[in-house]
Amino acid sequence: MKKVYVCEDTITGMYSAIYDAWIESRNDEVGIELRGQMNQQLFCEYREVTEASHKAVAVEHLIQKNLGYNCYWDIYHALLSGDSLKAEAVFHVMQEARHMEDSKKVMEHLTNADVAKVFELSRKVGNEAHLFIEFIRFRELQNGVLFSEITPKSRVLTCIGDHFANRFPLENWMIFDKTHKEFLVHQKQCQWVLVAGEELNQEMTERVSDAEAEYQRLWKGFFQSIGIKERTNPVCQRTHLPIHFRRDMTEFQTLQ
Amino acid sequence: MTEKIQVQMSMYDKLQILSDAAKYDVACTSSGVDRQNDGTGTGNCKAAGICHSFAADGRCISLLKILFTNECIFDCKYCINRSSNDVIRASFTPDEVCSLTMEFYRRNYIEGLFLSSGILKSPNYTMELIYAAIYKLRTVYRFQGYIHVKAIPGTDGELIRRIGFLTDRMSVNLELPTAESLHLLAPHKSRRNILTPMRLVQNKMEENRQEIALYNKTPRFVPAGQSTQMIIGATPETDYQILNVAESLYKKFELKRVFYSAFVAVNEDSALPARTGEGPPLLREHRLYQADWLLRFYRFEARELLDEQNPNFNIFLDPKCNWALKHLEQFPVEVNRADYEMLLRVPGIGVKSALRIVKARTMGNLKFEDLKKMGVVLKRALYFLTCNGKMMYKTKIDEDYITRNLLNTKERLPDSVSGMTYRQLSLFDDMNFTEGNVLQIIK
Repeated sequence: MKKVYVCEDTITGMYSAIYDAWIESRNDEVGIELRGQMNQQLFCEYREVTEASHKAVAVEHLIQKNLGYNCYWDIYHALLSGDSLKAEAVFHVMQEARHMEDSKKVMEHLTNADVAKVFELSRKVGNEAHLFIEFIRFRELQNGVLFSEITPKSRVLTCIGDHFANRFPLENWMIFDKTHKEFLVHQKQCQWVLVAGEELNQEMTERVSDAEAEYQRLWKGFFQSIGIKERTNPVCQRTHLPIHFRRDMTEFQTLQ
Repeated sequence: MTEKIQVQMSMYDKLQILSDAAKYDVACTSSGVDRQNDGTGTGNCKAAGICHSFAADGRCISLLKILFTNECIFDCKYCINRSSNDVIRASFTPDEVCSLTMEFYRRNYIEGLFLSSGILKSPNYTMELIYAAIYKLRTVYRFQGYIHVKAIPGTDGELIRRIGFLTDRMSVNLELPTAESLHLLAPHKSRRNILTPMRLVQNKMEENRQEIALYNKTPRFVPAGQSTQMIIGATPETDYQILNVAESLYKKFELKRVFYSAFVAVNEDSALPARTGEGPPLLREHRLYQADWLLRFYRFEARELLDEQNPNFNIFLDPKCNWALKHLEQFPVEVNRADYEMLLRVPGIGVKSALRIVKARTMGNLKFEDLKKMGVVLKRALYFLTCNGKMMYKTKIDEDYITRNLLNTKERLPDSVSGMTYRQLSLFDDMNFTEGNVLQIIK
């Protein structure tokens, strides 16, 4: 009977499911579903997965060693997306790789439906993460911390951490993911960390530094004056910068 | 130079004036160099470049694009800041430029600084001021992000050399495609004055490359290369002439980019084209950029795309489709066997999808469904491709037939020009479609 593994929608959870499935039934048909996003099927055996970090580490090593770093990169990004069958597709890709002469080239095998799916998901997450590298706006709080709030569709925080850590090594900064209630925190001259399960101190993040308002005004003014009137084109602007990003962006908040 | 009485101006007003004056410069890219932060300052660079916002005209905002000053002793006919115009003049101080850049950069508003300038007193005097600003930005503020500086024609070589070690990209504006037009519209600039610094930067970059090969810690000279820009539609050059100029700039001066800027009438002048209700020639600019990409990434040459007999681009079809239709004897191409160069020339296949095809076909035969997943635009490509010897549908390899079908599928023009679809109804190409020409043809 087809086994369906049920896990949480976290990287550790999904890697644990892949771990269990790989050990028990790597040669059989396997389904992996996410708790809360399930489609109950008939003629299946459902199994609960116990999450464990050692399982996740083992799967990570397995993928990196056998499929190579580039493939691991795609798989990791695919698992951050909002798709409900992402873990299952990743597992199928791993199964597919076993039949290949050079398993490191599995992501080039785009004629396989699961590879194509992982490829597409990875591209989607990667693109979204890139957009946030562009569109994140920090504001300076009274204590000097640079703070930003975003509303992403996928869990992009871990994809953008390295970029900002490298860019602002001497700043304390924090990015809050409003969709998934996660924080990316960077302390001056330290590594970034991902924090989940904490509450946002609204009052604290509203108190901005003295210079903040002036720089926001300057930026909004610059944003207006840099456009060429004769070429005004809202459709083009919307294509490059979709509306849903704008609510978190300084230049689109109304002038005070 | 006479002294001026200047009322103290607020930072906000200065930024308004000096960014408004800089907006006609197109080169707002932050690409070409990868640089990690060394841990002692702020900023890094990404080779692909990063856009941070998009202005109301749909153009990206990547750099803090400002003029250092809009005072100018030159009198270029097309420029809003020419000396004969009565506009409010303002200047930044080096410190103001630095703090503005740093504070904007920290908030992730911008990717770096684009500093151009009107000419105050003399080219050297102005470039000294610019040098002071970026020297301070690099050393005192320890800014490690992107800096693009416009070199002013007529500046000393030594000054250009010093600035080059602090910036990522330098550009000298070619302004107009031919020397005659330049003479007509920018009397204070000469072709020689523009090409001299360009050649200097090119030679110095080459020298620097050899020094780096010898000793890795050598400071980098203009690591992101140089670019230039031309105004399109202010003078009577054809697309063929413009594209040839661009090609020789790429080949002989090793430029990274040539930018084309559709002429926007800001001044009334007898030497400029009369103001019409039509707005800037955006479709023409778009076609030039398409052709520019074909030159740089698709291994085309200017003379393949246009010639003396057809000196302007077709307004209905993009340059690649146009080329393919004129060379139907080379099509259809077999996806599973054609070499990479040939795949690149198929309309509907881009650089990325061509690379994916080349990789994926080593794993197995490709079918049309697979091509679709790889990002090939089949509605255009299907007339030029076979998979395993078969075409997607039954089609004729006939110029008129394919042209008709391609026109039916409607090229997805970028939104930057789609406001102009009414123009496509004309039978004449974008460049020559003026009332006078039509009357001539009718007679």
